[in-house]
Amino acid sequence: MEMRSKKVPSSPSSAHPCADLRTAYHDCFNRWYTEKFSKGQWDKEECVSEWEKYRSCLAQHLEDKNLSRLLLEAEAAVYLSREDPKRTDSNSL
Amino acid sequence: MVRAYTQEHVYRHPWSRVTSAAFRKFTHPSTPILLSHITDVHTLSRHLDSNNGVFTTTRSITVKSPTLPFLVRRFLSSPSVVIHCVESTVVHAQNRTMDIVARNVSMRGLIEVEESSRYVPHPENEEEWTMFRQETNIRCKPLSVIAAVAEKVEARCAERFLQNSVRGREIMERICIDLQKDSVVVETGAVDATEALSSSMW
Repeated sequence: MEMRSKKVPSSPSSAHPCADLRTAYHDCFNRWYTEKFSKGQWDKEECVSEWEKYRSCLAQHLEDKNLSRLLLEAEAAVYLSREDPKRTDSNSL
Repeated sequence: MVRAYTQEHVYRHPWSRVTSAAFRKFTHPSTPILLSHITDVHTLSRHLDSNNGVFTTTRSITVKSPTLPFLVRRFLSSPSVVIHCVESTVVHAQNRTMDIVARNVSMRGLIEVEESSRYVPHPENEEEWTMFRQETNIRCKPLSVIAAVAEKVEARCAERFLQNSVRGREIMERICIDLQKDSVVVETGAVDATEALSSSMW
């Protein structure tokens, strides 16, 4: 019986190359969600510039094939939804 | 064979606070201690339908599996494995519903886990309480591993799921209390909400 003690790489969140951009986006998003969206102010999309920076970092650094594929699919979906004239990209804080 | 579980919980906090906590659950500082199986969380997509107040987002959650039975371990040459899960969330601000579906995207040849959760205002106290309902389906694929081992994996995963879901609720309750404190602070105009939040995190 093989008892190889190969450890699962423990990749703490802070070690990821996009960790700072992720924190910046999640902080902005959480603030927007808690203070605005969940209280009924949904007309303005916020944190767009934080999101763009974080997403482009992920596109370069996401190692797992499954996750990269999902990121690409999500990008394609967003590209299609740009047809929506109501989308307000300029509302980034 | 499929194992299915349904769980319900009433949060004595309003819907806006509980769903805020649901988004913060995996990135809260106490998460690595209480949910040590989670190793990484990323947001993969987001979309706001500003006409209808519908926000959709997808996150990846990387988890470390429980220690696997030796036969499976041998097959994978590792005592436990890293599994990527994808969680899609749809929030309707107008109707006040939050629906979350999480499933594993890796190891699907061995196991399929799907967890559907829903947060809605509690019918008996819509402004103050939130109803949480979750259905989990765990299915082990027969594969080349013998069925008995597959069932052990299934049982172990199920056990772990239940434990983690209790811990997950503990974290949710904590975050709700933090958010509640913050909202009091904001109302009195003393401190900016985000600063209060970061200082209340240890």
